[in-house]
Amino acid sequence: MTETRTQQSAFHVAEPEGTYPPTEEMLDTPVDPGLKKAREDRLRAAWKQPTGLRYWSAVNNSEVGAWYSLTAFAFMLAAGVLALLMRVQLAVPENDFLSAERFNQFFTMHGSAMMFLFAVPMFEAISILLLPAFLGARDMPFPRLSAYGFWSFLVGGIFVLSSVLFGIAPNSGWFMYPPLATEAEGPGSDIWLLGLSFIEVASIAAAVELIVGVVKCRPPGMRINLMPLYAWYVLVVGAMILFAFPPLIAGDFLFEMQRSFDWPFFDPERGGDPMLWQHLFWIFGHPEVYIVFLPSIAIAAMVIPTAARRPIVGYSWIVLSAVGTGFLSFGLWVHHMFTTGLPSLSLGFFSAASEAVVIPTGVQLFAFVATLMVGRVKMIAPMLWIAGAVAVFTAGGLTGVMLAIAPFNWQVHDTYFIVAHLHYTLFGGMIFPIVAGVYYFYPFITKKKMSEKLCRLSFWLTFTGFNICFLPMHLTGLIGMPRRVFTYSGDMGWNWLNLISTVGAFILASGILVFAWDLIRPKSRQPLTERNPWNGGTLEWAHDIPDPGWGVRAVPYVTSRYPLWDQPKFIERLDEGRFYLADAEEGLRETLVTSAVDAEPQHVARVTGPAWCTILAAAFTGGAFIFPTFHMYPPAIVCGVLAIASIIYWLWTSTAQVPKTPVKDVGLNLRLPTYVSGAKAPGWWGVFITMLGDATAFASLVFGIFFYWTARPDFPPQGTAHANLALVALAAVLFSASWAATRIARGINRQGKVTAARVLLGLAPLLAIAGAAALIFALRLPGLAPTEHVYPAMMWAMVVWVCAHVGAGVIMQGYCLAGSIFGKLTPRYDADLWNTTLFWHFLIITCLVTCALVGIVPRAMS
Amino acid sequence: MRPVRRALRDRTDSTGASIAQNSEPLRDDASRPSYLAQIPRRGVNVKPFRVSLLTILATGGCAGQQSVLDPAGRDAEVLATLFWWMLGGAVVLWILMNGILFYVSRAKEREFSRRTAELFIIGGGIVFPTVVLAVLLSYALSEMPRQRDLGSGLTVRVVGESWWWRVEYLPDGWDTPIVSANELRLPTGSRSEIKLAANGVIHSLWIPALGGKTDMIPGRETRMSLEPETPGDYRGQCTEFCGESHALMAFGAVVMEPEAFADWLDKQAQEAAPPTGTESIRGREVFAAEGCGGCHTVRGTPADGLVGPDLTHLADRRTLAAGVLPMTEAAMIDWLRDPEAIKPGVHMPAYGHLDDADLSALATYLLGLT
Amino acid sequence: MTRIEDKPDDPPPYRHRSIWHMIAAPVVWSLHFAGVYAWTALSCARFGGPDEARLGIALATAAALALIVVIGWRAWKQWDFLDDYDDVHDAPTTEHRREFLGHAGWLLSIISAIGVLFVAAPAFYIGSCL
Repeated sequence: MTETRTQQSAFHVAEPEGTYPPTEEMLDTPVDPGLKKAREDRLRAAWKQPTGLRYWSAVNNSEVGAWYSLTAFAFMLAAGVLALLMRVQLAVPENDFLSAERFNQFFTMHGSAMMFLFAVPMFEAISILLLPAFLGARDMPFPRLSAYGFWSFLVGGIFVLSSVLFGIAPNSGWFMYPPLATEAEGPGSDIWLLGLSFIEVASIAAAVELIVGVVKCRPPGMRINLMPLYAWYVLVVGAMILFAFPPLIAGDFLFEMQRSFDWPFFDPERGGDPMLWQHLFWIFGHPEVYIVFLPSIAIAAMVIPTAARRPIVGYSWIVLSAVGTGFLSFGLWVHHMFTTGLPSLSLGFFSAASEAVVIPTGVQLFAFVATLMVGRVKMIAPMLWIAGAVAVFTAGGLTGVMLAIAPFNWQVHDTYFIVAHLHYTLFGGMIFPIVAGVYYFYPFITKKKMSEKLCRLSFWLTFTGFNICFLPMHLTGLIGMPRRVFTYSGDMGWNWLNLISTVGAFILASGILVFAWDLIRPKSRQPLTERNPWNGGTLEWAHDIPDPGWGVRAVPYVTSRYPLWDQPKFIERLDEGRFYLADAEEGLRETLVTSAVDAEPQHVARVTGPAWCTILAAAFTGGAFIFPTFHMYPPAIVCGVLAIASIIYWLWTSTAQVPKTPVKDVGLNLRLPTYVSGAKAPGWWGVFITMLGDATAFASLVFGIFFYWTARPDFPPQGTAHANLALVALAAVLFSASWAATRIARGINRQGKVTAARVLLGLAPLLAIAGAAALIFALRLPGLAPTEHVYPAMMWAMVVWVCAHVGAGVIMQGYCLAGSIFGKLTPRYDADLWNTTLFWHFLIITCLVTCALVGIVPRAMS
Repeated sequence: MRPVRRALRDRTDSTGASIAQNSEPLRDDASRPSYLAQIPRRGVNVKPFRVSLLTILATGGCAGQQSVLDPAGRDAEVLATLFWWMLGGAVVLWILMNGILFYVSRAKEREFSRRTAELFIIGGGIVFPTVVLAVLLSYALSEMPRQRDLGSGLTVRVVGESWWWRVEYLPDGWDTPIVSANELRLPTGSRSEIKLAANGVIHSLWIPALGGKTDMIPGRETRMSLEPETPGDYRGQCTEFCGESHALMAFGAVVMEPEAFADWLDKQAQEAAPPTGTESIRGREVFAAEGCGGCHTVRGTPADGLVGPDLTHLADRRTLAAGVLPMTEAAMIDWLRDPEAIKPGVHMPAYGHLDDADLSALATYLLGLT
Repeated sequence: MTRIEDKPDDPPPYRHRSIWHMIAAPVVWSLHFAGVYAWTALSCARFGGPDEARLGIALATAAALALIVVIGWRAWKQWDFLDDYDDVHDAPTTEHRREFLGHAGWLLSIISAIGVLFVAAPAFYIGSCL
C-alpha cells in the first residue's frame, strides 16, 4: 500500500529508515557525559513549566491530570456533603430538617454530581495523569485537548453544582425522566441538560485522546500482548464512552428542543413518548456503571502483581474479561426499566444478558486471586483497600445477580435495596480501588509518600462506616422503603434502620476526611521517596526524582510486560538516555508514535505546549451552553462563534505544522518522519474515533424514529404532509457532490495540482450549504411544523442535526482552503485535508441516511 | 346489570374453593397503628411466624404491611422464598470468595503452581458461574410469564395522579366503572387484572405484600396482575419518583374474602348516603358553598368534579390523603385547613379561611360518607 | 538502508495481527442481541405475535452460534495451543502476539456463545408478549 501511494504522489512521502529493532550492542553503547548533560538540559528546557500566573496555561499531562483529579475529588466531597444532609433528614421519621423541594434537589445533585462530576471524570483524570508513564510516552498525544477538557469540566461542574446554593438545582432525579423533568418549572432541568451535555462533550474528548494514546503512543516494542493491563482497560473504557455517551447527548438534544422550543418528543398528547428518553438514558446509564468500574479494577490489576511480586496470572483472561464486559454491558440497559411494562420476552433478553455479564466481571476477580495464589504476597498498604474493594464489590455483585432476576427486581426496584446494591458496587468497584490507587501511585505523582498509619485509619473508618450505613439498607428496602422519599411515617418499622444508616454515613465521611487530609497535608519537609518504593515492574516506576518535567528521560525499547523486573540494565539505559528521543535539538516537545498492534516506530509527533487559547475555548464553549439555560440566546451565539474561533486559532497555530526537515534522527540509528498524514497520524485517529461517537449519536436519533414507529400507532399520523421528495433528492445530490469534491481535492492536491484542488475546496462548501438549504426547504414547503406533532419534530431534529454537521464540514473545507493558500497545507503536508475528508466520509453517510429517513421511509411507514 | 356479588362468587367457586378455610389468629390491637385500631377489623390475618420476624425488626405500627418478606399473595410468596434461597447462596459465595482471598494473601504457606491458579480461574470464573446462573435464569424465566399472566377475576384500573390514586373497579358485566380512590381492595382466590395509567407524570404501583410493581406511564396503558391469598390490611406506595410529594403517595391495600369483597363492592356501587344529623347537613352546605364539587365527585349529589379523588364512600377508606393521615376528624380538619402543610405541592387549595365550626361540620359530613 | 516496514517474520493472513478479528465474536453477540430485541419489539407491537418473535429468535440464534463457532475455530487455530501449550504469550515476538490475539479471540468466542445462548433462553420459556 505504501509503495502504490508513493508512485501516485508527485512528492516523496518520508518513511521510517534505519535499524529496528535495536541490537543489544546499540543499547549498550555509552553516551559521553558532556553530551548527556547537554541533552538533558535541552529536554528540560523544552518541557519547562510556565511559572507564576502563566502556570495555568500549562497543558502537559502531569499538571492537567493533577488539576483534573483534585477537581473531581472536590466535587465528590461536595456531593458527599449533600448525601450527609439527606441522611440527617432521614435519620428520624417525619423530620423537617430539609423541605421536600430541597431534598429532591439534593438527591438529584448527589447522583448527578457523583456520576458526571466525579466517577467518569476521575477515570479520565487519573488516566491522563498516569497513562503516558505506563506507556513510556512523554505526554498524551493531544495535550491541549486534555486542557480544554479539563477547563470545560471545571466551568460546567461549578455551574451545575452551584445551582444547589441558589435553590434552583434540578429536582427530577439524576435520570431526569420526562414528563416530570420536561414539565419542571425553573431552570433546574436546563441546568442539568446543558451543564452536563457540556461535560459529556469533555468526556468524549478525553476518551478520544486516551484511545489514541493507547493505540498510537506505546513505546517501541510494546506489542499488544505486552501492554500493561491498565492500557487495555483504558482502550475498552474509551470505546465504551464513545458508544455510551452519544445516545445521552442525542437524548439531551431532543429534551432541550422540547424544553426550549416545545417540540413534543416526550409529550404523549402530541404523539411523543416519555419512554424514548428512558431508553436513551439507560443505553448510556448502564454502560456508564462499567465505565466507572473497569478503570478502577484496572488499578487493582496494576497493584496486585506488585503485591504478589509475580506477573499477573491469566493476562489473556483479563483482556477477555475487560473486552467481554465492555460488550455485554450494552445489553443490560432495560434492567433499569424492568417495571415499565415491556413484554416479558424483551425483559428476558436483558435479564439473561445481565446474568451473563457476571461471568466476565467475575473472571478478573478470579485472575487477581490466582495471581495472589502463585505469589509471595507482601501486604503493602494499598492492598488493604484492594481487599476491602473485593469484599464490598462481591457483595454488590451478588445482589446484582439477584436484581437481574426480573420478577425479583419487580419487588425491590426503586427501593432502598437498590440504594444499598448500587453503593456496594460503586464503593467496591470504584471508591476503594481508587483510594488504593492513590496510595499506590502517590509516590510516582508527587515523589512523596502518604502516611501508612493514616491509610489504615481511614480504611477502617471508611470500611466500617460504609457497612454500617449501607448493609442495613438492604433490609430497609425489603421491608418496603422506596427510594427518593424525603420523609417516612414513624410506624413503618424503618426508624432504627435509618438511624443506623445515618450514623454509618458519618463514620464513612470521617474516613474519607482522614484520607483527604492525608492527601493534601503539607509534605514539603518530608523527604523524597525512593524511586520504586513498592518494587513494581511497570514503566512508571522508572520515573525520575525529583521530577524534571520531561515525562520520561528517553522513550524506551520494551520487550516485556514488566520491563523493570525482566529487562536487565533497563534503568541504566534509560538514565543514560540510550533509548529513543533522548534529546530535544529543536527545543520542541516530542513523543514517539508507533503502529497500533506491534508498536513499531512510525513517526515523531510534535506535541503542543502551554497555551491560553484552550482556556478561552473552554470558557466560550461554557458560555454557549450556559446562556441558553436562562434563555439568553444572543450571548450564547456570540460565545459559540468565539469558541469556534478559539479552536480554529489553536488548531491553526499548533497542529499539523509544516516541519523544517521531513525526517528526524531519533537515536539508535533510526530516522523517523516528522510529519505524517492519513491513518498513521494521531490526528486522523482522533477524527476517526470522534466520528464513531458522533455516528452513534446519529444512530440514536435513527433509533428514535423506529422507536416511535413501533411504540406509537400515530407515527406518522394519518394524512400528514411529508417532506418534498424532489428537494430531498436535490439535497442528497448536492451533499454527494460536496463530498466528492473534497475527496478529489485530496487526491489531486497530492499530485501537485494545487490550483485545481483549491477550486474544488472553494466549490465544496457552496455545494454543502446549498444542500442544507434544499433540505430545510424540503420540510418548510409542505408546512411541517415541529411543535404540532412528534413526527414533524423528529424530521426537523434530523435536519437540524445534519445542518449543524454540515456547518462543521464547511468550516473544515474552508480551513483546508485557507491552509492551501497560506502554505500550511501543501501536496506533501496534507494531514488537514485527510482529516477533513475522513470527516466528510462520515458526514455523507449521515446526510444520505437523513435524506432517506426524511424523504422515503415515512411514506413507506404510513 | 347483574349484582357484583354473583359475578365474583361464580368465579371463586371455580378457582379458589379452599381459601375460606384459611383462617388464623388475628393480630392484637397493640401491633396496629392507632388510627387503624379505631376501625372494625375485617379479615386482618397475619401468619404467626411473620409477626415474630417483624418484632425483631421493628415495633408495631404498619411494620410488615409493606414488606417483601411478609407475603400475602402468590407472587410475593414465590419471590420471598426465592430471595431467601438467593440470600443463602450469596452468603456462602461471599464467604468463600473472601475466605480464599484472605487465605492466599495472608495465610498460605507456599505458593501455588501456575497451573492450579489457571484451573481456579477456569473453574471459578467460567464453569461454576455459567452453571449456577443458567439454573437461576431458567427458574426466573419460567416464573416470569406466570406473574405476568392475564387476570381471570376482577379487573381494576388505577390511574396515578399527583399525588394520589384514581381507582376504577370493572367487574364482569358492568359497563360503567365503580370509581374510588386511594385504596385498592382485591379478593382472594383469583388473579386480578390491574390496568395502569398515569396523568401528568410517571408513577409506579407497588404492593409488596402481594407482588412486584409496575410503572404507570402517561400516554400508555401498562398492566399487571396480582393473586392475593391472605386477607388483611396492607399498604402500597408509589415507587417512581413523581415530584415534590412523591414520599407522600401511598395507599391502603385490602385483601378480602371473595364474599366480603362482593358485599363491599356492591356497596361502593351505590350512591352516597344522604347526611342525617344537623351538623352533617350543615357540612354538606359548606361543601357546596365552597365549590368542593368542582373537583370532587360525591355520587348522588350535584358534586361531579373529576380533578380530585372521588369522595362518595370516603369514610369507608382506611386512610386520608393517599395513605398519609388516619381517617379521623382531627386529621380531616388539619387536612382541610392546610393541605400544603401536610403534602407539599398538593393541588388542593387550603380552606383555612373557614371558621372552626364550618370545618368541623364539613369534616362531619365527609366522615359520614361511608 | 533498512526499510522497517518489511516484516519477513509476519506472514499473512491479516487477521493474525488484527484486533478487529479478536472482537469478532462479541460483535456477533451484539448483532444477535440487537436483532432479537428489535425483532421482538416489532413482532409484539407491529405485526405478528409471540410465535413469529420466537421463530425469528431461534433462527437468529442458530445463525449467530454458527458464526461464533467459525470464529472460535479460527481463533483456536491461531492460538495454536496444542503446538507448545503456551497460554502466557509474554514474549516480544510476532508468534506470541499472534497467539495472544488468537487466545483472547477464542476466550471471547466462548463467552459470546454463552451470551448468545443466555439471551436466546427467554424464547424457550416465554410464549407471550404480555
